[in-house]
Amino acid sequence: MAGTLVELTPEQIAAFAADEPSWLLERRLGALGRVSELPLRQSKQTPFETAPFMALDLAQAPSVTAGAVPAGVELVDLRTAIQEGRLEVQQHLGRLFTEGEDRLHALHLATFAGGAFCRVERGVELQEPLQLTVELESGALYAPHLLVVLEEGARADLIVELRGEAGTEAAVRGAVEIVLGDNAALNYTEFQRVPGRTQTYWPRRAELGRDAKLHWILADVGARLAVADTRTYLRGNGAEARVLASFFGGRRQHFDFNHVMVHEGQHTTSDIEARGVLQGRARAVYNANSLIRKQAKGASGWQHEHTLMLSEEARADLIPELEISEWEVSAGHAASAGPVDPIQVHYMESRGISPVESRRLIVAGFLASLLQDIPLASVRERIADIFQEKVEL
Amino acid sequence: MARPELIIQGLRVGVEGREIVKGLDLTVRGGEVHAIMGPNGTGKSTMASALMGHPSYEVLGGTATLDGQNILGMAVDERARAGLFLAMQYPAEISGVSNANFLRTALNARRAENDPVPVMQFHRDLKAKMESLQIDQSFAERYVNEGFSGGEKKRNEILQMAVLRPRIAVLDEIDSGLDIDAVKLVASGVSQMLSEDLGVLIITHYQRILNYINPTNVHVMMQGRIVRSGGPELAMELEARGYEWLRQELGIDEPITEEA
Repeated sequence: MAGTLVELTPEQIAAFAADEPSWLLERRLGALGRVSELPLRQSKQTPFETAPFMALDLAQAPSVTAGAVPAGVELVDLRTAIQEGRLEVQQHLGRLFTEGEDRLHALHLATFAGGAFCRVERGVELQEPLQLTVELESGALYAPHLLVVLEEGARADLIVELRGEAGTEAAVRGAVEIVLGDNAALNYTEFQRVPGRTQTYWPRRAELGRDAKLHWILADVGARLAVADTRTYLRGNGAEARVLASFFGGRRQHFDFNHVMVHEGQHTTSDIEARGVLQGRARAVYNANSLIRKQAKGASGWQHEHTLMLSEEARADLIPELEISEWEVSAGHAASAGPVDPIQVHYMESRGISPVESRRLIVAGFLASLLQDIPLASVRERIADIFQEKVEL
Repeated sequence: MARPELIIQGLRVGVEGREIVKGLDLTVRGGEVHAIMGPNGTGKSTMASALMGHPSYEVLGGTATLDGQNILGMAVDERARAGLFLAMQYPAEISGVSNANFLRTALNARRAENDPVPVMQFHRDLKAKMESLQIDQSFAERYVNEGFSGGEKKRNEILQMAVLRPRIAVLDEIDSGLDIDAVKLVASGVSQMLSEDLGVLIITHYQRILNYINPTNVHVMMQGRIVRSGGPELAMELEARGYEWLRQELGIDEPITEEA
């Protein structure tokens, strides 16, 4: 495997995980065994075989800080949760990656280090959002794992920020797993603003019980290379999921995003709304799939994707898909890419706003309109400001 | 400052190579309300869009000055800052930009960089103006025109005019598609702003808005020119008799079908 000459051995894993319970060591070793067998997800548009997160190497835990933790909530370092023997961790950790597992997923499971465990107890409805910040430093390979469990009827907002000091050159091979019990509801906001030399691989998985609701609010502005695939299993009847994904690439940034909604329950609904902006020589590969399985009667899955192209050299590959195995469903997709609408620019100019300022507001607003569900105005505004500052005109 | 003065002379405008406005002369001064009426496709809206500098319209000839400055030589935003305002027939929708942010940016564009409008004062003024136009306070935080009804869009244009205080305001079919109550509301909003420091040019198909804003001058436009000018009585006559008699009187027999 590229990037390393040293084979990762079971002994190294065992030494690395020496203070962990035996069930976890078994899980890690099992995953290590699958690394060489499993295929690597191929992407013609994004050759990441040589990316630093591919290194067949042990990883370290990033610094993870949590905001205030109210009653009825556990929000702790994943290591702590493991050592304290949290049953939910044993029950769920890595479970949602079993289906469709690829080499990188297995490598992550074998080597993950640190992260966070969040559990909201049955029926607890949080008024204030939970917050987590993952901080990266230069030179390291990080493999954090975030496990979020909302029990039946729980309601919460979680805001996760991935960041690092300017100039940081790190690699991330992380994962997010979200389990929502029946009638639970989560707004999961993730703001990725790691420095421009960092490369990240960041798959996300979620499982929704009956009438559960999940909003993924994803904003990506950082990283030299960011690869993320988000797969949501709508298992319970009446489950509802939305993706609101905004991304802004510049210079030579490369994004490869994939959003999949898997409808298993009846009357499940999903909606993917993605908006991108590309300038400089940035490139985005964007795939979406609404997968409606047999028996998912009354399911509805929709996708909308639009990318604003601010330069001739930027490139977007948009690939929306539908895979439908049931008759009584509604589904559709729309994808487009183009320049800023000159009629919008004219309208703003006609009120006295300069052409540059008009375009800046239109571009930032185009992305920021997907942030409305973020419960903290301060976070919303901070992301919108970063979008605005990034516009090169 | 002297009274505002918009002078248009021999204006010719083309769209996609076709001449629509064919030599238009018009002077609007502060304290005056001019109405340009006429059937569809005669170049009324084309004239208004060209004055503001819409990218799809090409000025083929003639001049237009605002307070002595040649506005046709200015960029669009410069025209606006010089005091020209166009209430558009189809205002653009701008996702993610709130009305308040939009208006504050537009106001600050008229001020020195180190002297932005104080935020509290801006919100107080905006609130007062929304109240006088019976606009819900939620308007301030809604995105510019996104999801607005036809009537809301028109009222939003008038709200912008009230906040930006132009010297010459061109209202392009600000009454179309509105029910009578909405027309009254929009008209009374404009009437409240009338003063010696504002000249208004209303473009309309219908006389009815002129029941609520008294025009000082009424013009009829046909085939890209002003073919008749008069006082408010001309509007009444058109309302009573239509345009056909004028067409016959002027010997205009081309069918007029296209919307311009």
